[in-house]
Amino acid sequence: MAEIKLENLSYFHGKDTPYEIKALDTINLTIPSGMITGLIGHTGSGKSTLVQMLNGILRPHEGRVLLDGQDIWEKQKNIRSVRFRVGLVMQYPEYQLFEETVYKDIAFGPKNMGLGEEEIRVRVEESVRFAGLSPELLQKSPFDLSGGEKRRAAIAGIIAMRPDVLVLDEPAAGLDPRGREAIFSNLVKYHEESGNTVVIVSHSMEDMARYCDNLIVMNEGKIVMQGDRDYVFSRSNQLTEVGLDIPQVTKLMLILKEQGIDVDGGIYTVDQALERILSIYRKSL
Amino acid sequence: MSNPFIKIEGLSYRYDEDSSGMGKHPVLNDLSMEIEEGSFVAVLGHNGSGKSTLAKLLNMILTPTSGKIFVDGKEITDEAMTDEDVLSLRKNMGMVFQNPDNQLVATIVEDDVAFGPENLGIPSDEIRARVNSVLSDVGMLEYATHEPHRLSGGQKQRIAIAGVLAMLPKCIVFDESTAMLDPIGRKEVMDAILRLNREKGITVIMITHYMEEAALADRILVLHDGNVLLDGTPSEVFEQEPLLKSCGLNVPQCTSLIHQLRDAGMSLDGDCVSIEQCAELILQTLNKER
Amino acid sequence: MKSIAFGQFYPANSPLHKLDPRIKVILTVLYIVCSFLCKNLLSFALLALSAILLILCGRVPIRIVLRGLRPVLIILAFTALLNIFWTKGEQLLFAWKFIEIYAEGLYAAVFMMVRIATLIIGTGMLLTYTTTPIALTDALEDLLSPLKKLKVPVHEFAMMMTIALRFIPLLSEETEKIMTAQKARGADFSSGGLIQRAKALIPILIPLFVSAFNRAGDLATAMECRCYHGGEGRTRMHVRHVRLVDFIPLLLVLLLGASLIFLNVLGIGFSMK
Repeated sequence: MAEIKLENLSYFHGKDTPYEIKALDTINLTIPSGMITGLIGHTGSGKSTLVQMLNGILRPHEGRVLLDGQDIWEKQKNIRSVRFRVGLVMQYPEYQLFEETVYKDIAFGPKNMGLGEEEIRVRVEESVRFAGLSPELLQKSPFDLSGGEKRRAAIAGIIAMRPDVLVLDEPAAGLDPRGREAIFSNLVKYHEESGNTVVIVSHSMEDMARYCDNLIVMNEGKIVMQGDRDYVFSRSNQLTEVGLDIPQVTKLMLILKEQGIDVDGGIYTVDQALERILSIYRKSL
Repeated sequence: MSNPFIKIEGLSYRYDEDSSGMGKHPVLNDLSMEIEEGSFVAVLGHNGSGKSTLAKLLNMILTPTSGKIFVDGKEITDEAMTDEDVLSLRKNMGMVFQNPDNQLVATIVEDDVAFGPENLGIPSDEIRARVNSVLSDVGMLEYATHEPHRLSGGQKQRIAIAGVLAMLPKCIVFDESTAMLDPIGRKEVMDAILRLNREKGITVIMITHYMEEAALADRILVLHDGNVLLDGTPSEVFEQEPLLKSCGLNVPQCTSLIHQLRDAGMSLDGDCVSIEQCAELILQTLNKER
Repeated sequence: MKSIAFGQFYPANSPLHKLDPRIKVILTVLYIVCSFLCKNLLSFALLALSAILLILCGRVPIRIVLRGLRPVLIILAFTALLNIFWTKGEQLLFAWKFIEIYAEGLYAAVFMMVRIATLIIGTGMLLTYTTTPIALTDALEDLLSPLKKLKVPVHEFAMMMTIALRFIPLLSEETEKIMTAQKARGADFSSGGLIQRAKALIPILIPLFVSAFNRAGDLATAMECRCYHGGEGRTRMHVRHVRLVDFIPLLLVLLLGASLIFLNVLGIGFSMK
């Protein structure tokens, strides 16, 4: 199990040019291992920059990234091995597909790791299952897949490297409800079976509320909040202040609370709301 | 009632068979419907339900395998359509697509907005006037001389809307125009769409995945397997939660909550499309019992 | 990649910005001819002076103009060295073993550098910094429009240029994105021999082509939806009427050319053969 820790991390876009912008501002953060962590923030809050720090795609200008206590930039030559341990699925990852067949494409990562043919085969099959992709598609060209299937093939390509930490930037962006559901439920299944740390970046507060144990809220390059779901969603005012949308049911509960109904703002799923309202209703009968 | 703005009769479409074996299945199958002038219709359906194909048929980017389409009383599927007829159809049926980057042509915002009217041969002074007026309609006038690639997704999409508006269309089709945007961008674009419909009376056909957006429409059409599965007001359509779920769709969280509360025995009568409506229903019932 | 000196328009309200782009295209051609007319010290001095005047007229910060020169620094240095060491002349300044440096070589090196620098500053000030890409393509389309009679697809070329300019920043961004994604899968672009490195580019090039084709398809549909049907019957939002004052710079450049020729004839200072 791998733990990622960020120490006094800062990063500038366009460093040393007149257009220099501080994208990440002295970030101190521990990503709890073995959990699903959600990273929230509106566009430009620095979350996409942050995830590219985790696997050494970007190098911090100040501060350190520690993977199991080891500074990942200590030996620059080893940075590729960090990328195998912290798997990053980029936004709209279907752009990364390039091989003749889905199988070969998923095998690209493991092949770069220098694994043997047989090991690669095992991993491809395993990752296809985790990504919820039908094995029949393996011999097809990735360009013949549907949008949702392409997305899952791209995710499988990262899972096949068997990373200790899986980081996904907006994994369900642009998909229809069925596609979103499939991506997230497969991720939860992957997490449960592998026990690996998963970090998900998303705009959708409703998805975050449903699937993440632990949440990190970012704004203007800083961490403004970190904690479990109950903690974060009970501070819905603060969430709206940094330009985030709160789940519909949370909004509903806030309206009810204003009208004197005994509910609290910390409710963020339909099931919680259902239970709370029914209990009030039954008491009043 | 006046003649419908769009009338579709027995429309079918199938893609030419290709190597992948897809396309044997018809995308649209004997579809018939009407859309009133000035209405705001949301079209729902999971990927592959034929939504986008329908949009492309409406302005003759695609031609149907069989069936007829009438727009503004004129049959556009008529063999006798001339090139001028096609242009005038496209002028009246604007289209805004999913990826804002792939529909902007020029490197300066105002030049892009002018692209449509320039193609239509509108005199220069009038193009100038239109460009300024439509940019202010979408709240982007101050960005007139900016470069599109430096704008946010929501801003780019509003430029795309302005570009279509500058042709003075009667109807605009939005083909998943909010799918690639963040919540802020989505709200900007939805606000712009609503204003066009309410204030300018432009007929809006909006293809979307987001139930919260569809909830704002006057009418929802749910497409499934190339045909209309449900057709009604958001309230009527959302009542059919199990049916929607069975074809890969959802209802807004609050609506679903009300349905579950009803199932659990609470009597909550009335529309439950918006958060406010749902809150009102719950408050009424809880206060009654007190 | 985003800072390449390509269509780097610098917004300002200067006489050069206001000048008719068609005139600017003609001026540029004339200016290039002028720079090749220079033969001696005085004429090169005049040329350098004209470049400075152009910068002042365009009100573009000198910092930005110099940045535009950065990509050609190596070429400048290389030609200078070549001239210094390989030009043989009469006035020997320095000799050590087989290295001989003549005054003619030094002059030639300076002249060459001034010529290249003024060429870049001149075209930059007249075109890229002060003219929007759209105005530029429109101007080219106008100037070349007589060729339409010969069935040369002038409008189509201009349209292609506009679209290329629009998509260059997009595609360069996309290249970066794809590279990041492949790096995250352990792709290595910086080690290995030439063949290995070329092979490493495949995972970038294929997605880039696929995406470029998809974009092209989408854009074509979007353009059709916006009633694009070629150049026929098309109007323009920006109509430019050449004003009388627009001819003044034209006269000035002609004057510059005439003075350069005059100075050459006069032959004061060192002359190139």
